[in-house]
Amino acid sequence: MTAVQAAAGPSAPPWFWAIAGMRRALALGAFLALAAFILGPLLTLLVWAFAGAWLFPNLLPEFSLTWWSYVLGNADVVKAIRMSLLTAPVATAASAVICIPAAYAFARLEFPGRRLLLLSFLSANAFPKIGLYVSIATLFYRLDLMDTFAGVVLVQMINTLLFLIWIPTGTFRGINRTLEEAARDAGAGPLRTFFQITLPIALPGLIVAAMFAFLAAFDEAQGTLIVGTPNHITMPVMMYTLVLSYPQPVGAVFSVLLSLPSLAFLLLAQRYLRAGYLAAGYSL
Amino acid sequence: MTESRRQGALGLALVLPPLCLLFFLVVVPAVTAVVETLAPGPGGSAGLTVARYAEVLSAKVIRTDIAFSVVVTLISVAAVFVLGYPLALYLRFSPGRLASLLAVVFTIPLFVPVVIASFAMITFLVNHGLVSTVLYRLGIETFPPLVYNATGIVLTEVWASLPFAVLILGAGLQAIDDSLIDSARDVGAGRVRTFATIILPLNAIPTRITLTLLFISVFGSFTIPYLVGGNAPQMLGVTMTNYLTQYLRRTDAVTMAVLAFVIAAAVGVVYVASVSRRERDV
Amino acid sequence: MDRSVRRRRVVIASVMVVAVCLVGLQGANPARAAGVVTLNLYIGGDTNIFDLWKKAFLPAFTKRYPQYKANMVELLHDNGSEGIYAKILAAKRTGRTVDVDLWETTPGFLDQGIAEGLWVKLSPKLVSNVTKVPAPTLEAVDYYGLPYRGSSVVIGYNSQFIKNPPQTFDDLVAWIKANPGKFTYCDPNTCGSGTAFVTAAIYRYTSAEKFAAKAYDTKDEAAWAPGWKLLKELQPAMYNNGFHPNGNVAVLQLLAQQNIWMASVWSDMGLDWYSRGQLPKTMRFIQITPPLMGDDSRVMVPAGSAHLEGALTLLNWLLTPEAQTMVIDVVAGYPGIDWKYMPESVRQKFIDVAKAFAPWPNPKYLADIKRLWHEQVVGG
Repeated sequence: MTAVQAAAGPSAPPWFWAIAGMRRALALGAFLALAAFILGPLLTLLVWAFAGAWLFPNLLPEFSLTWWSYVLGNADVVKAIRMSLLTAPVATAASAVICIPAAYAFARLEFPGRRLLLLSFLSANAFPKIGLYVSIATLFYRLDLMDTFAGVVLVQMINTLLFLIWIPTGTFRGINRTLEEAARDAGAGPLRTFFQITLPIALPGLIVAAMFAFLAAFDEAQGTLIVGTPNHITMPVMMYTLVLSYPQPVGAVFSVLLSLPSLAFLLLAQRYLRAGYLAAGYSL
Repeated sequence: MTESRRQGALGLALVLPPLCLLFFLVVVPAVTAVVETLAPGPGGSAGLTVARYAEVLSAKVIRTDIAFSVVVTLISVAAVFVLGYPLALYLRFSPGRLASLLAVVFTIPLFVPVVIASFAMITFLVNHGLVSTVLYRLGIETFPPLVYNATGIVLTEVWASLPFAVLILGAGLQAIDDSLIDSARDVGAGRVRTFATIILPLNAIPTRITLTLLFISVFGSFTIPYLVGGNAPQMLGVTMTNYLTQYLRRTDAVTMAVLAFVIAAAVGVVYVASVSRRERDV
Repeated sequence: MDRSVRRRRVVIASVMVVAVCLVGLQGANPARAAGVVTLNLYIGGDTNIFDLWKKAFLPAFTKRYPQYKANMVELLHDNGSEGIYAKILAAKRTGRTVDVDLWETTPGFLDQGIAEGLWVKLSPKLVSNVTKVPAPTLEAVDYYGLPYRGSSVVIGYNSQFIKNPPQTFDDLVAWIKANPGKFTYCDPNTCGSGTAFVTAAIYRYTSAEKFAAKAYDTKDEAAWAPGWKLLKELQPAMYNNGFHPNGNVAVLQLLAQQNIWMASVWSDMGLDWYSRGQLPKTMRFIQITPPLMGDDSRVMVPAGSAHLEGALTLLNWLLTPEAQTMVIDVVAGYPGIDWKYMPESVRQKFIDVAKAFAPWPNPKYLADIKRLWHEQVVGG
């Protein structure tokens, strides 16, 4: 505790509550409580993952690694993690290639039905998929995409559309037009202007959008179950079965294992999540 | 005229590819579903009918579940907003090691799949789970039920959605020029006033995007209410799944899906309308 | 500018890497070994059933029939089954074969699929061993699903707290009322052990046989009213003021954490947990009178199965005494075939438990029981 407070010491008091030290301590306490709320469930899970048995009212379980050997014998999990790590990036990249030009058009160009079309992308996330299963499966059979890599990528792309259209549209809209106009005046063509002026300024916002899209693709389970089984199974498809399997420590071990790829991604993305990097996303 | 026509054609050409994807994978199946709910049942006459909707809405359980979904969603979104905004402000205006440490901590849930988040929340909050055991050891033996009810759903939704809100709001705040805030302070505006007159309006678009997307994602959730919620009332995502898989009433389930879409789309329309009005104002 | 060029190069390079990975993936498809057919099985249920297939059935089957391999998709609590149903239905509508060769799921999907013509109708010509299955269990589903194992629901209680367990259903009701918060059953939408308690309350005031038969008339459901009333009355005495967890496992966890002292549980799962040390040592299991429901679990073969011959071979093998003995040994279940075909030693050991349970309602009544339970007992 003291170390944390010491770490906070040198920073200037934020303007919006810098009245009394008391107030500041209260706010700090509130944030630490919130941090405990965020970390508590995950730490509980971590303890469960190393528990042989944990009966009430013991504060800590009997520690044991038995469940790990039980879980690590499961080769399907490794296969599914690999499939997830292949499909989600491809889905994100493919979606970005078609969505980012579209977002630029939504932000910069006037065309009939612009607002309605922009709004229509909401339906990708707002229409409950449960009503669509049979139609989607029928379509994928007709296109011979059932149980194929391309099919899984396509079905994961549905979830990415909203993030890769809406957030970049906001980003492009926020970029000052005069910069682009100056480049055009200097004789640069539209493509050159886009790639050399607009894109670099928008990049941080686009990266954030791509990150949300990646997570959405990575988490897709329902569509992938239909289109991907039996040979193209991703991690989320197995997740429910593994995490809620019994006994409880087994679920916890799987939870820890299955969180690892995402948490590795968190470390990679940390750089882009830093507030400064996000800024250009919404410069108004 | 020709320039604007050229621009229109280019614009349409650029939005066409994602639109095609949306059209074939979402719009066509969704329209098929809507038509299915409007078709008269066996023995009915030709033409379309809203009888299904009347029938579904006549069931008190379903009306309760719809209301429950809306209320739980609104409370969750409000809670995320109330917790997320100060946090975004703090991270924006407080440099220093603690702030950057907190920034990492608050992004973690974004990277934890919801199934795992729900499971973790249960082990943490359930009676005889970690929190209750700690309280028991401290001599507090009565423990309020925090999971398997609306409280559990809201807590888990807030847990899972907080990073999204903080990130998008924070990105907006980052774009606000410090000099604007300083000048407001110079002319004697208080903290609340500065927030209300400078920060909030300047951060309006990210705020609206956040609220809209949060509403849609919480309202449409299945996994969290299924795992952390109670038996009844339940959120629509769970109710529809039950009607489809357990009660052998497929069309009722699809009808509820359409109703859920109408509610979510209404929120989307409000968003686009507010953003458009803003554009015209500027 | 320089940086953006470099970044673009990085993007292009990563796209190429991914493309190479994809090509590699296509080339390395392992399932195409010469002459070996891979059967795709979709198994819905709890973890003990996955283990029964994965660790007992499939190794024995593929040893006996080396021309087959098995690839199993596990669906805990039948979660996601609506997607599998959609897959089978869409394959039929588009005239394609489906890569679901065998599916074990809830009676609801079996029933829905019969109307759509999705399943293979079993006959001795296709599966010679079906003659060993008691005819009524096959007739109940018009020979579209194969009952390959049974199990029954019993009452599990913690003898540390309960010295005189209830012997009859009325005793049980009295005990629940006298010990509020110490009993629950799981949400019938997610598990059979909860459905068994609910139907026991319904059967208390009407005849079990009537609703187990094939006839279906919603008017007869009026007879369930006193059952709903009783269950509603019991709600305040249930754990956590009327909470019913999801799945059989969640109930066992409540028993393990001693949040509750008594619950309706599947006999096979309860014994399995007990033997693994996941329940208190003082847990005991009894059957009350009239007995709670038992269930025959069924597997279906889609008519459009891509490996029909293999799927039928597997079905036939499931009905051999070898496989049926595994049902008893691995999950403490009841065999799907008539006891008289079981080995003598097994028969002697289990002669008492044979069929000591009430019949399951037919799928349509079952669906209505679940829906009405939500409306009448926990909703409103």
